[in-house]
Amino acid sequence: MFSTILEQIVNGIVTGSVYAIVAVGMTMIFGVLRAINFAHGEYYMLGTFGAWFSIDYLGLSYEASIVVGVLSTIVVAYVVGKLVMQRMVGAPAESGVLATLGIALVLQNTVILVFGGGYKFFSGGYIEPVSILGFSLAQQRILILVVCLLVFVGLELMVTYSRMGKSMRAVSQNVDCCEVVGIDVPQVVLRTFILGAALAALSGVLTAPVNVSVYGGMGELITFKTLPIIIMGGLGNVRGTFFAAMILGIAESLVATYVGLQFRDTVGFATLILMLMWRPHGLFSTQARF
Amino acid sequence: MKYTSSRRAFCISSAILSLAAVVPGLPGLAQAADETIKLGIVAPMSGPNARYGAFSMRGAELAVKDINAVGGVDGRKIELFNADSQGTPVEGVSATRRLIDEDEVNYIIGDVSSSVTLAMQPVAEDAGVLLLNAASSNPKITYGAGVGGYKWTFRNYPTDENRAFVVAKYAAEQRGFSKFAVLSVDSDYGRSAIEFTKKYLPEFKGEILSEDYYKEGEVDFRSVLAKIRDNGAQAIIMYGLADTTPIVARQMVEIGLAGKVTLVGNGEFNTEKTIKSAPTALEGAVEAAAWLPAFDSPESKAFVEKFTTEYNEAPNNHAYVHWDTVNLLAKAIHEAGSADREKVRDALSKIKYKSPVGDVTFDDHNQARLPMILLQIENGKPSVKGAYTADIQYPAQ
Repeated sequence: MFSTILEQIVNGIVTGSVYAIVAVGMTMIFGVLRAINFAHGEYYMLGTFGAWFSIDYLGLSYEASIVVGVLSTIVVAYVVGKLVMQRMVGAPAESGVLATLGIALVLQNTVILVFGGGYKFFSGGYIEPVSILGFSLAQQRILILVVCLLVFVGLELMVTYSRMGKSMRAVSQNVDCCEVVGIDVPQVVLRTFILGAALAALSGVLTAPVNVSVYGGMGELITFKTLPIIIMGGLGNVRGTFFAAMILGIAESLVATYVGLQFRDTVGFATLILMLMWRPHGLFSTQARF
Repeated sequence: MKYTSSRRAFCISSAILSLAAVVPGLPGLAQAADETIKLGIVAPMSGPNARYGAFSMRGAELAVKDINAVGGVDGRKIELFNADSQGTPVEGVSATRRLIDEDEVNYIIGDVSSSVTLAMQPVAEDAGVLLLNAASSNPKITYGAGVGGYKWTFRNYPTDENRAFVVAKYAAEQRGFSKFAVLSVDSDYGRSAIEFTKKYLPEFKGEILSEDYYKEGEVDFRSVLAKIRDNGAQAIIMYGLADTTPIVARQMVEIGLAGKVTLVGNGEFNTEKTIKSAPTALEGAVEAAAWLPAFDSPESKAFVEKFTTEYNEAPNNHAYVHWDTVNLLAKAIHEAGSADREKVRDALSKIKYKSPVGDVTFDDHNQARLPMILLQIENGKPSVKGAYTADIQYPAQ
């Protein structure tokens, strides 16, 4: 009994790690733009497709495909960032919703047009199971967990000490003052956006071996899973996002085991409703920042 | 000023373009009305079931190509239209309406998903368009057809009831399983197959230890598989989606279920790609399908060969049933001696059609009498264990 619960908690932490890497990008983009990026899951999908393409068509190894997947997403994110995201600085909230939903449709359907709507089989990765604590786990899942921790330590350091991190925080606090003191706001927005998209792509490439299938619509589900996480974490809060992702991952895993798999997706949405009713500013902030 | 002139230019050019599109189309339309047979295919061309849609369309295209190559059905060529249901009832209904209202088709073959087909039935009925289903297995579709209500719905596919019975019987009697776990897709297909499994399982002294349904697009089965590992089930009854089978099989290997628990049910366990994804998990798997490439009849083998040369890929069940159903429709039109919908419908209910899996006739619920083919994966290859036909017990009206 105890070992089953432990196993499910570990499963949940692995799932949570995937969500966390995607969600942290979304929350940082919210921080600088005050807009929820509804196209965020599409960058997760693009990264996975880039990796799948480089393995199936170019014959590259899985390690190389991670690089290709992330780099190709960065290129797309640069174009979208220049053409769309930079124009959203100071724009009303609805334009952000419309623009990012539009981008989501364009990216998703372009991929479906080019590669077809069917599921693709992702063959790379380290899927051999290893045994720890009395149950078995694919090596890839351990890799996901390690990468997630590294990403969060890195981001924490960057946000606290680097110039880019400081300017990101500044932009998220007051755009007008940033302009007064000479911070290039559009530049900060673009860089944050590219970083967020690249992290989503990385998460996609890391998850692909255990999820096996790759298809055009796969990003949508991730967007809707990360939405409750960033709200729970407190919009724009990097550390809060990490814990919120873990909570959701573990809760989903326990619900799937003890209530039923069909109720798994309910957890995220139910959490979202509860959060919006009682703590719209998130679990980890004492008051609403926005 | 600059904007006004470019807008005017846009208006004029688009007006010219639309005229150009309409004018040559006019004589074509008049000709099409009496000579071609307009056939619409509703299938999931995008979304989680897109693979089924692509195969369905290719199967239908191959049949149409062959029929048109020999001059069509008594001189009438078949023109094929395609509409995407995305595998959801809402989109399926609007796809059906598009085919009927815009493309003005007389015949529709569709959909793969039972939930979508159930939603399409009243639409086809209202329009008086013949709906031939080729790939949905929920029994309700023909419970409500023919004498059951919908006069324009026919189904050329065996039902879940037949399938559930065949699988339960084989798993219990031939394999000696008595403890089962359920892991099926949360749809009219997955749920009804389990409903009928529960009806027949007690006859074979089988019991169900756990029951889970997954949403289309689900990718994480570790929690459920761990539960199954711990509850001691000998087999997992899975009526699932083909694209999900490799994911489940891979995670069975990961969690240490491969070789210990057997998959039984349906979900394209037998394709080369699926078996390759996790050979140890699929070894011994039992599946009941309407058709599979390994089926041994000369017509079936000829189809596999033709399809493979055309598309460089072996056909699946959905390619076959759509190919077969187009041929069935052509035969019905030929026997009716006219492309009049009502005459074709009457011809269909009296038809004796020789399909590659056996002779097909329709009962008073417009349901084809067809066998389910049972197979088992042995040494990484599907091996056919027999074809079973069971009579359907319709519920009292």
